[in-house]
Amino acid sequence: MAEPIFECRSASVALAFGGQARPIVSDIGLSVHEAEFLSIVGPSGTGKTTLLRMLGGLLRPTSGEIRMRGEVLTGPPDGVVIVFQDYGNALLQWRTVAANVAFGIERHLPRKECDERVAAVLELVGLSKRASDYPWQLSGGMQQRVQIARALALRPAVLLMDEPFAALDAMTKAGLQDELLRLRDQTGTSFVFITHDIEEAVYLGDRVAVLKGSPGRIDNIVDITLPSPRDQVTTRQLPEFLAYRYDLHQAIGHG
Amino acid sequence: MAETARGRLNWTGLGVFALVLLVWEAAVRSGLIAFEFFPPPSRILLGIVALTRDGVMLQDLLHTLGSIAAGWSIAMLIGVAIGVLLGFSPTARRFGLASVEVLRPMPGIAFAPVGLLLFGFSLQTELVVTVLPTIWPVMVNTMGGIANVHPRLGDVGRTLRLSNTEIVRHLLLPAALPSIIVGARISLGLALVMAIVAEIVGNPAGLGYGIVREQQAMNPEYMFAYIAVVGILGIALNAGVVALTTALWPATSRVTL
Repeated sequence: MAEPIFECRSASVALAFGGQARPIVSDIGLSVHEAEFLSIVGPSGTGKTTLLRMLGGLLRPTSGEIRMRGEVLTGPPDGVVIVFQDYGNALLQWRTVAANVAFGIERHLPRKECDERVAAVLELVGLSKRASDYPWQLSGGMQQRVQIARALALRPAVLLMDEPFAALDAMTKAGLQDELLRLRDQTGTSFVFITHDIEEAVYLGDRVAVLKGSPGRIDNIVDITLPSPRDQVTTRQLPEFLAYRYDLHQAIGHG
Repeated sequence: MAETARGRLNWTGLGVFALVLLVWEAAVRSGLIAFEFFPPPSRILLGIVALTRDGVMLQDLLHTLGSIAAGWSIAMLIGVAIGVLLGFSPTARRFGLASVEVLRPMPGIAFAPVGLLLFGFSLQTELVVTVLPTIWPVMVNTMGGIANVHPRLGDVGRTLRLSNTEIVRHLLLPAALPSIIVGARISLGLALVMAIVAEIVGNPAGLGYGIVREQQAMNPEYMFAYIAVVGILGIALNAGVVALTTALWPATSRVTL
């Protein structure tokens, strides 16, 4: 197998609470290959968000290291972008959809190229007709698509997503899940997708890592070999899907 | 305000106001209210017309408008600058907030004698009295606006690889803009009040001095004419800021106005 483009080696984070350092995640080892979809699933309180902030360079690991294309991270690296769960806070309410999407690239690209790229990613997420609307004029699912488009505009190699669909209804969620898989196929972007929803993790993932305990550790990593393209109805009925679902529930300790 | 949220005139509200004027007119004319120096609205209106024809009203209006513009602009510069600094930096708050909290409750008018002593009956005195209290509303609102920006916006800036100055300029300031505008509007109202006060006590010029001058000359309809013009000026200034804000930042005005 080829070298992973994104790698996390025995990384730990401790955060200070009232002067005392409390370990949040410990000894995390993960690797992501090109165009791979890695789901990380874990119950609440296992440090999912801390893990993702660390992977995105917003938090520096207390020990261990994270590498992007072999380079050790010292801050948010080129080619890695986070998509946050709370799209309402993460979007710039005073900017139109197109201006939000342009926000990450407008300082680095000539106007024309920037406009073209914005138009292209809006097309990709199906929001071309809403380009001149403001975020508050859009539904929750559309707002989250704006945030995804803003990240894609940077043409990232790795997209880190922190429970991006947790606040959305089931139907919107299903639509966006399929959209992500399609984007992965079209753009070759790798995904690290954090969720507490086991079915979502299995449906999307090429592999599913289980985060467990306090401090959170990677308990095990399951290879998912379900046929592609996945389908919201038929894939979820496959005996293999149900078996993965059962195993992961067991692994997390629900069973 | 006489306007509804959609910008159309509120006819019902204006009708009530017209009714109040009518009752006032009738009460004075019928002798129900009988003061020696209390004119009915119609006489005040004639007073405005006479003073305007004479040219003195325009001259006084321009003086006051100029003082407000100068005083408010200076106060905005100082207030936004200090507010941004205190909003961003916990260290600045630790060192500076106590001084601000000591100075802020002091009534601006208390500085009129200071201004008089330093600058005499002059425009400088008027500006001292206008600027000092006008700083605080915009400063406090700017500080609060910056400090209350959701931390997620900082995360967004960092994951999109903006520098710290870019985060301040492109994320924190625009996000705090609605609060800054609210502060600017309160400050503008205060600048009008303080300019009039300063003209009454410290600088014999403008609309404020016009009120005193006509009172001492025992011309009540002229005195009330000046008061009415001050009121109209207040409404016009507020409408001006609203129009300017809407033109400059349409998306922000939706939340603020």
